[in-house]
Amino acid sequence: MKKVLFLFVVLFGSCAKLDNNLYNNDNKIKEYKLDDYTGEQDFILDDSYHIPPGLVTLLTLPSQADGESSSTEIKAIYIGDVSKINSDTVLLYCHGNKDHMDFYWQRAKLLAHVNGKNKYGVLMMDYRGYGLSKGKPGEKGMYADVSACMQWLKNNGLNNNRLIIYGFSMGTASACELSANAAPMLPDKIILEAPFASVAVMIQDASQLNMPADYFTDLKIDNAEEIKKCDQPLLWLHGKSDNFLNYKTHGQAVYKNYHGRYKESILIEGADHGQVPSQMGFENYLKLIGSFIRKP
Amino acid sequence: MRLIRFICIFLFLIFICFCSPTQLVKPLQKGQRAAAITYGGPLIKFAGAPIPIPFTTLGFSYGLTSKITGYASLHTTSLIFGNLQTTVGGLFSLYEQENKFGLTVSPAIQTAYNIRNKTGFRIWPTLDLNAYYHPLQKPSFVYIGANSWFELSSLRAHNEPQANHIIPNIHAGYMLVKTKWQHQFEIKYLGLGIPNLPGVVDYIGISHKGALGIYYSLIRKF
Repeated sequence: MKKVLFLFVVLFGSCAKLDNNLYNNDNKIKEYKLDDYTGEQDFILDDSYHIPPGLVTLLTLPSQADGESSSTEIKAIYIGDVSKINSDTVLLYCHGNKDHMDFYWQRAKLLAHVNGKNKYGVLMMDYRGYGLSKGKPGEKGMYADVSACMQWLKNNGLNNNRLIIYGFSMGTASACELSANAAPMLPDKIILEAPFASVAVMIQDASQLNMPADYFTDLKIDNAEEIKKCDQPLLWLHGKSDNFLNYKTHGQAVYKNYHGRYKESILIEGADHGQVPSQMGFENYLKLIGSFIRKP
Repeated sequence: MRLIRFICIFLFLIFICFCSPTQLVKPLQKGQRAAAITYGGPLIKFAGAPIPIPFTTLGFSYGLTSKITGYASLHTTSLIFGNLQTTVGGLFSLYEQENKFGLTVSPAIQTAYNIRNKTGFRIWPTLDLNAYYHPLQKPSFVYIGANSWFELSSLRAHNEPQANHIIPNIHAGYMLVKTKWQHQFEIKYLGLGIPNLPGVVDYIGISHKGALGIYYSLIRKF
């Protein structure tokens, strides 16, 4: 009987973890369609936000996480003049958990209008396993992919003081991690839209109990802890009607734990997850981001 | 489809606490034993239709006296995730009119422990109250009841205050009694009054509160 029980525990006890099921990626596409994309999107900009094709560059970058023996090819899109990166300010946009860059194209395009059309460069990437990026999604890989983008920006002449990192939803994990810890570059400012605090909060919100995250996952994402190490100015945006990530239990925990030199919070009435720019109004949103970037 | 999978996975998170299976409602006879397998869970919207998320639990109970039954169960869904979750409790008869009506109370202790990382031992007390009734004095009976989980910790992640210390559920069921086998059908309203938004789960509650669940237990008496 004891042997049976032991076998039962070992067999089950070493089985499932949620890690591989938490990614909502789509890697079935054959090409990026950008403006021609007809799938689900949070919003679609009008023609006044059009970006000339000559200012859109699709990149293939090698990404290698610690402990990996070879690199993984990921895709990124740079909006702006690559030859001017050595003098431009660049927004590094870390997108959320949905699908691939086509879903986030309108957001990246919008950011390319901060303080004027194509005033700043915008770099967005598909993490491994998303869109046309190769490999499988994973936490370490995601950080490596954003690091690879930083390395590319650095190679093209960008300095730390002209790098702004912008994380949305799941992308806030990379934004916090790479602003807090050693990476090819250290962003000068951090913008977090609808951040989540940690996997533990996600689980505890769901269960209503003080349940440890490692009951279900080996993910270590903990923005509320990582943000404590950051000194760069922080802008936190969150919809007060975010029905996915509670702005109180998630965003507020991150914001509260930030003890750096400057922080600013903008809570948007009536905005659900992904609706901050549209609910604010695109021009108000751009004005806010622009003003934050210009702050000394 | 992927989003649905994501949602389903998170349901497992939520309902480790809500997977409280159908429990004993009536005490066993003294010296009597019973084994049960429970299957069922909360309802979610899947392709527009409500479906239950399947949770399984294995349980064993023993009649200590004619009024007190001890029981223990192993939550096999939790075990799949590397967590040893158990329930140990007792069912006490408060009042009984033979083959007609009765009231029972059932305090229990839920424990969970991450056997992969050897971390995260947790204890949650629970309490069940049930009233059962035998229509036409037949062995099968219907019942209603309430149950609550109690979170004893004052803090949660990042040292934020724990919002809810009492997580109430209500239920109603029917026990179809055969000679040795019993079939228990139960519906629950889980997380009574607790808002289910904001949240990462799209489950079926009432006015964005709690979640409805359906359960079935197969019980064999020895």
